[in-house]
Amino acid sequence: MSSKPSVDRAAPAARFPRDMVIGFCTVVLCAVAYWITLSFADAPAAVAQNVQPATFPRLVISVIAVLALALMVISFRKDSRPGKSVPAMVAMTAAMMLAFVVAFEAIGFILAMALFCFFMPVIWGERRWHAVIPFAVLFPGAIYALFAFGLGVHFDAGILGF
Amino acid sequence: MNAFLTALVAFSDPYLITVILIGTIGGVLVGAMPGLSSTMATALLLPFTLTMDPIPAISLLSALYCAGTFGGSITAILVNAPGAPPAAATAFDGYPLAQRGQAGMALGMAAVSSVIGGIFSVVVLIVAAPLLSRVAYNFGPPEYFALSLFGLSMLATISGESALKNLIGGAFGVLLATIGMDFTTGVDRFTFGYWELSEGIHFIPVMIGLFAGCEFLTQASKLKEGRVRAIFDAVKLPGWADFKHCFGTICRSCGIGSFIGLLPAEGGTVAAMIGYNEAKRWAKDKSQFGKGDLRGIAGPEAANNAATGAAMVPTLALGIPGSATTAIILGALLAHGLRPGPHLFTETPTLLYAIFLSMLIANFAFAAFGFAGAKLFARVTLIPTEFLWPAVFVLASIGAYAMDQSIMDVWIMVLAGLFGFVLKRYGFSAAPIIMGLILGELVENSLKQSLIIFDHNWFHFLERPIVVTFLVLTLTSMIWPLVTLFRTKRQERKAADAVQS
Repeated sequence: MSSKPSVDRAAPAARFPRDMVIGFCTVVLCAVAYWITLSFADAPAAVAQNVQPATFPRLVISVIAVLALALMVISFRKDSRPGKSVPAMVAMTAAMMLAFVVAFEAIGFILAMALFCFFMPVIWGERRWHAVIPFAVLFPGAIYALFAFGLGVHFDAGILGF
Repeated sequence: MNAFLTALVAFSDPYLITVILIGTIGGVLVGAMPGLSSTMATALLLPFTLTMDPIPAISLLSALYCAGTFGGSITAILVNAPGAPPAAATAFDGYPLAQRGQAGMALGMAAVSSVIGGIFSVVVLIVAAPLLSRVAYNFGPPEYFALSLFGLSMLATISGESALKNLIGGAFGVLLATIGMDFTTGVDRFTFGYWELSEGIHFIPVMIGLFAGCEFLTQASKLKEGRVRAIFDAVKLPGWADFKHCFGTICRSCGIGSFIGLLPAEGGTVAAMIGYNEAKRWAKDKSQFGKGDLRGIAGPEAANNAATGAAMVPTLALGIPGSATTAIILGALLAHGLRPGPHLFTETPTLLYAIFLSMLIANFAFAAFGFAGAKLFARVTLIPTEFLWPAVFVLASIGAYAMDQSIMDVWIMVLAGLFGFVLKRYGFSAAPIIMGLILGELVENSLKQSLIIFDHNWFHFLERPIVVTFLVLTLTSMIWPLVTLFRTKRQERKAADAVQS
């Protein structure tokens, strides 16, 4: 259960050079982006002057695709080491980042900030409550005061009414 | 002359001096904190400077930029954890000196070399920027197109191993810049029905996300790593003999750093590495390098600080960023409604003199703060990660929100952070994407205008000498890292064959 599974998970990356997989994914993304450009409306010739809205993005997408193909070719010459797996803490932190923005919209900035400042240190392993609680209360309060009153930034009222 | 006097008068205002000193202290602090680079701090601070007048706003960012480059050396020397990438080479000899109980000597040499490098670079900026801007007066859309291509191609030379990834990142940034309404035709591109995207993706939330959001996740993956306490004696200035011993290295590094800084896309990190290598190459006795040679500190520190002012030259004179941090300062100029390029020199010369003066003041100020507060600044590494990084993320969110007071910008910041983390794991870096995003509009508009001027005949590009020069430089800078890579591989193969036989 200890380290073996992570080695197994990394095995496919070692079979194919890592940069080849990256290059392949980039080419696929370029194909998708190019397909999206097909939906761009055409502008009248007098306005577009022979440079349609899709022309430049397509040119850039083609450049990226060529560079990605070059990356794939060069990857054959490189040694490929299996990448480290992402710690679960990163996934938790990413989820907290997204939850913070959702809370920002749903319950208001100050409450979202206080909850984030309380739960984030706790998730990261901080258990000194005498530090966590003042941090979760004072830091959001100070930031809110600075921006709302000091810099005149407007925040939509949350469920607390401010 | 009038503009210079006006700038001098502006500097008699205590408010402006206070702003610069705050920027300097902030720069040294964030530079000293591993993970918190001056680039990230500039990105975080940018939205808040929008409420200020342009002169204090840009002076604050410039002071932070100069001081942040020096600040990284404090923790590189004391705890072997470079606060910022340009200070990585300083740790090679700085930390061994600190372990021998000579941290003060190492910090003293870092401060002296940084100040000399920094002041030299400001002189380069004062001399070279107006000259370059005069040349740039002759530039039309084709020249700007070729120049911006050259700027993007220089991304390849940042690192030979990831040259292609840097180029892909730069091109991806240009593609991101196409999101929103095409201003020539009024047609929406990549907006997916969201009207908020019609005005395009603003680079500030993307920058904050790619630097701060991404680093927040990186720190989450390093929570188990312990913190190191500094071994520290009193700051002691290097003696005359030490200074004489390092003088040649400092002079050489000033030249190297300024040259590297002048090149678009290159910055302090590359300058510091070359400065270190050259210090070692020119030394008669190389045996102490890596074990605590003062020249191993003087070389990279003078070089990375010499790159700061020089990197502002293409940023101000051409509107092409010289480094990741100057890309953000360029963004700040644009956000304040200023037009970087030759017109900046005729339209707002006072601002330019203010930038020169603020960088000079910051260089003297960080030396003073460095000597007086190095012990204190080194303690920032002891701030618990569990509190510091959530606080940074909250500041990043509010920074993204405050600009247009739009929640969409906060989403963009968070998504850019997540995306940046994934890219970082696969060997891509944030700086090329930012460069591409900032240069994207210039590339597209100058190309479109050129095509209209040339009646869609691409061969007309080759009839303009400046364009041809930039195109040749572009090709060279793209091919050179690949040639170097292949040559290194071939030499390695030959060496391996020789060992086998």
